[in-house]
Amino acid sequence: MPDVLIADDSEFMRNLLREILEEDHTIVGEVENGVEAVEVYKEETPDLVMMDIVMPIRDGIEATDEIKSSNPDANVIMCTSVGQEEKMKEAVKAGADGYITKPFQKPSVIEAIEDVVPS
Amino acid sequence: MKVYDGSQTERAQQSEPERIKVGIAEYRVTTDEAVLTTSGLGSCIGVGIYDEVSGAAGLVHVMLPTAEDVEGGNRAKFADTGVAALVEALEAEGASRDGMRAKIAGGSDMLDFSENGPSIGSRNADQVKETLAAFDIPVLGEDVGGDHGRSLRLESDTGDFVVKSANTESTTL
Amino acid sequence: MNVDIQSLGTFNQLAHEGAQQATQSLAQMTGIDAVVDVTKITLLDRADVGDDLTGAEFVGVQFGFEGALEGETVLVFDRDSADTIADSLMPGASDDPAMAQSSVEEIGNIMMSGFIDGWADYLDSTIDHSPPEYIERSGADVLPDAPEPDEHQQVFVFKSEIEWVGESVNFYIYMLPEYDPLAEMMMEHGDTDGDAIPIDKLQTFNEMTTSGTQQAAGNVEMMTGIPTTAEVTEISFAPIEDVPKQIGTDTYVGTVVEFTGTPSGYLMVLFDEVSAVNVAEAMMPVEVEGDGVTDQHKAAIEELGNIMTSGFVDGWANVLQTSVDHTPPRLVHDMGRSIVDPLAAQVGQHQEHAFIINSTMRTDDIEFNAEIHALPNEKELREALEDLDVERADETDADVEQIFE
Repeated sequence: MPDVLIADDSEFMRNLLREILEEDHTIVGEVENGVEAVEVYKEETPDLVMMDIVMPIRDGIEATDEIKSSNPDANVIMCTSVGQEEKMKEAVKAGADGYITKPFQKPSVIEAIEDVVPS
Repeated sequence: MKVYDGSQTERAQQSEPERIKVGIAEYRVTTDEAVLTTSGLGSCIGVGIYDEVSGAAGLVHVMLPTAEDVEGGNRAKFADTGVAALVEALEAEGASRDGMRAKIAGGSDMLDFSENGPSIGSRNADQVKETLAAFDIPVLGEDVGGDHGRSLRLESDTGDFVVKSANTESTTL
Repeated sequence: MNVDIQSLGTFNQLAHEGAQQATQSLAQMTGIDAVVDVTKITLLDRADVGDDLTGAEFVGVQFGFEGALEGETVLVFDRDSADTIADSLMPGASDDPAMAQSSVEEIGNIMMSGFIDGWADYLDSTIDHSPPEYIERSGADVLPDAPEPDEHQQVFVFKSEIEWVGESVNFYIYMLPEYDPLAEMMMEHGDTDGDAIPIDKLQTFNEMTTSGTQQAAGNVEMMTGIPTTAEVTEISFAPIEDVPKQIGTDTYVGTVVEFTGTPSGYLMVLFDEVSAVNVAEAMMPVEVEGDGVTDQHKAAIEELGNIMTSGFVDGWANVLQTSVDHTPPRLVHDMGRSIVDPLAAQVGQHQEHAFIINSTMRTDDIEFNAEIHALPNEKELREALEDLDVERADETDADVEQIFE
């Protein structure tokens, strides 16, 4: 099963993502900010990161940028409530591979992951 | 031509103490044992001042620390000018500064998004205390800071200052 | 047309003084001790005028006015209070319906004359009004029809709430001026350079925000499975010290963020406690243990508030082709007014008046009301309005697919 790291400051959202993902993925970590996301990514190098944008300390776009700079093969899907075009462009520039807007339905999460990390 | 507008009409005597609501950036004084109330204090501060000798009491609900940069406007909005306005109004009712006692509540740090420097709530509290000290009025009770809102009432006959938060029992200062 | 902040402030002050004049007349006639609680100028869709009166019966007086200003105005109070008011004017009046009605007419007439006279004096002009007409109606029907504007469906309404101290009686004064004479007067009495706000763009901005509210309501529906409708979206203008009074003294649960960019400011998503519990439980797969608002409820509300916030502001960013960042949500559980108070204070460090954007949404299935309130900084709001391309007003959605091709 692919390894996945969940980065979201909302406990509610981490629980929701865990429930959707744990069937077909190994969850290697759940973190609450961009700094921890980069740290845990470097330790675990998971196959996939589900990354929120608005988080304390360091936001998800900056964290994505650092992860992708250190490992261009990393797979990062933004998973955020932000639906602004300029933010999406910033995410693309930072190297994000996909973008899911909250609120989401389970099939759209599965589909987005399938596009980025085909099983 | 004289206009008769009935403004001299006497108000009926009431047996229960009157309740007077004090809004944000307002002050009120009483000499007939009214209960002065104000609600919804976040970073704002309620300053109650009473003088047992004359029986005059007043309450001001201030919003920001200092009127320094503002011309004219409403004195009761600021901690420095608001306290001064209240003291003057009490003096006009016969209270003397020597007999005045103060109690204060509010100045919460809740929802302060300023990234550097102290919160508006704590700046309000500092300014209120500084201004009271300048008038030589002792602060006999305070409930300031924290991260919750407050409502309060000043019972002017006793000087009791009752503070209530949304999620706690009330306390009397 | 541009209207400067100063003249909006002046008009708000006029309406406030008029309401105070009216309240003094009432006190002299009846001995009723009443105070003017809030006065605000609101810009909203004409169909939504008076939505906040829904569910109550009102009596009062209505009349038209013309001269320097034209339009309709009403003074109303709720049905149950009519007798109390009649008796305070003339003991025993409430026993006789005709007497009760004439008491209300008389009070209304005197109060409203005071209200209108203040305007005429300020404008150095005369405003004539028709004889008062007694009205008894329910909800928004008690208000006169809002004027028909030309292009936008938005109208300005002046509203004052008067509270009878110690009694649960509230009076409302509504004034609905015709757009053109009002606009002309605002132009004449304003200083149009410097801090002017383009009114037509403010209307467009309000329409964008309405679609943001619909987006936020759609997000609630998706997360809870409960059909949710956006109700009213309006922009009000009031002195900064009146901002906290826009929200009740009840306890609310919700989230607050600071947003930065163009515009910048603060945004609150608030639920009353019952609604908070209901909506949080609709989001959760399992039953919650314990009474009241638990930590589990709060975690759900925190995420819902976050998603509603994005739904609300994303449209602004997309139309303005910019980005509006916001902080992670801070969860609040406190008295409504004390939640707004520190935000008003922060905005109030730089300005004397504020625009407040208020939106409400509800659902018929369960008891559920949500309010979104935004408090933009005036300077950045003005910049946003300057940048606003009216032609792009409906481009509130971003196209993810296209960007991630």
